[in-house]
Amino acid sequence: MGTTRLTIETIDAVLEQVVDRKAGAVDLRDTRFIDPYALLLLALLVLETKSRGTRLRLDWPEVPAVRRWMRAMGFFAEIGETTPPSARDVRSALQPITAISDETGIGRVVDGFHHRLVERYPLTESSRRTLTAMMIELFQNIPHHSNATGDIDDSHGMAAMQDYEDSLFLAIADKGVGLRRSLGLREGYATITDAQALDAILRDGLSRFAEAGRGGELKRIVGIVRSWDGTFALRSGSALLYFDERGGDVYDVPDFPGVQLAVRLPLRLFGADPVDR
Amino acid sequence: MAIMDVGEFRIAQFGTRLGTRLEGARARERLESLLTSLPEKGQVRILLDDIEVLSTSFADELIGKTYQHVVDGQYGECTMVLSTPSLDLAEGIDVKLAQRRLAMLCLQGGRWRLIGFHTPALSETLERILEKKRTTTRELADELGLQMNACVNRVARLAALHLIHRRKIGMKGPQDIFEIHSILDG
Repeated sequence: MGTTRLTIETIDAVLEQVVDRKAGAVDLRDTRFIDPYALLLLALLVLETKSRGTRLRLDWPEVPAVRRWMRAMGFFAEIGETTPPSARDVRSALQPITAISDETGIGRVVDGFHHRLVERYPLTESSRRTLTAMMIELFQNIPHHSNATGDIDDSHGMAAMQDYEDSLFLAIADKGVGLRRSLGLREGYATITDAQALDAILRDGLSRFAEAGRGGELKRIVGIVRSWDGTFALRSGSALLYFDERGGDVYDVPDFPGVQLAVRLPLRLFGADPVDR
Repeated sequence: MAIMDVGEFRIAQFGTRLGTRLEGARARERLESLLTSLPEKGQVRILLDDIEVLSTSFADELIGKTYQHVVDGQYGECTMVLSTPSLDLAEGIDVKLAQRRLAMLCLQGGRWRLIGFHTPALSETLERILEKKRTTTRELADELGLQMNACVNRVARLAALHLIHRRKIGMKGPQDIFEIHSILDG
């Protein structure tokens, strides 16, 4: 299967091929663009098949710029592969793939992302504040929830960020227990489906913790992204919530462990053009 | 209340971009120590000066949880107020207090207002008490044009949220009469 654009909108076709149809290879030779969400899911797919004792073969993109970007994002290192021939182009990646494991490291990771962002964009105080607070909430969900059941050896949390001519793209992913199993620890939610878990968390603001002050963060982030005419994708298990400025819905997708999230925000929100360096 | 009973708590002592729940929980230990060190009707003024980012999680761990304990009476009649250079910065606190159905007085640009969970009726009553500094339920009911029962209920709610101090000074028929003090009268 060949695809020219590997994005939030198309990556599930790759997952379907590998997860549902047991394909042993993914053909990326014609791929001319990959977004950070698709990149993280692709990395998790390789790692997940590896952990199940099979090897997924990736036919690398033939376009050198795509390979350079994948390398700059740290993709090959992440999946333990030898880098295909390409020049190193660190500048093409805004924020390479960064591991997120324990909560004590979140501050440092957020500072790193923040630094990369302000280096390239003279952000307004308000946009910097909102984005940074958003990252703190999203990143800490990995140590808080990805191994909520305590039976995951490596939930492999990670995040990456990329800027485009018109948007800023943040992706966060893990292959932990997922929203359904995490929320399922709460009394009365043991038998919910993936789609119901998405709904409970994003619409009702629930968390696996029943305490009054817990939960609501993802719901709030969804509200912010919506008000900014951004794109949001949250995938867990076999359900995906996706919306952009034209609307959205919950969709059935191939079952895959963990939680994968993407936020794409219009660059005009940040009130400035990139810094010319 | 004498000014020496007010303890200031600068959140910027923990950093300028805050933070995770874990960081909030660590900071809470210091806030709780400060509350413990205050006299019976002491007050903590939380300052957001020099903070760049305050996440809702940090806000809940540090302020939401501690304030819940204050309202539950764990620190006697101690009160807690907030001072912020911008309302934008206090948004996470506002959200988490509302989620916990708590309300707190917040000073911004020289003006006190309620953040968190509150109603126009509660705000109106509190505003009048802050203006007068000291009053009674009878006086308040007259000035706000309320039935005594309604006024007593509003005052009871404000007292339960540690937004005012009140002292029973007598009874009229079946109704308790209270003297009410603003928590900002120091």
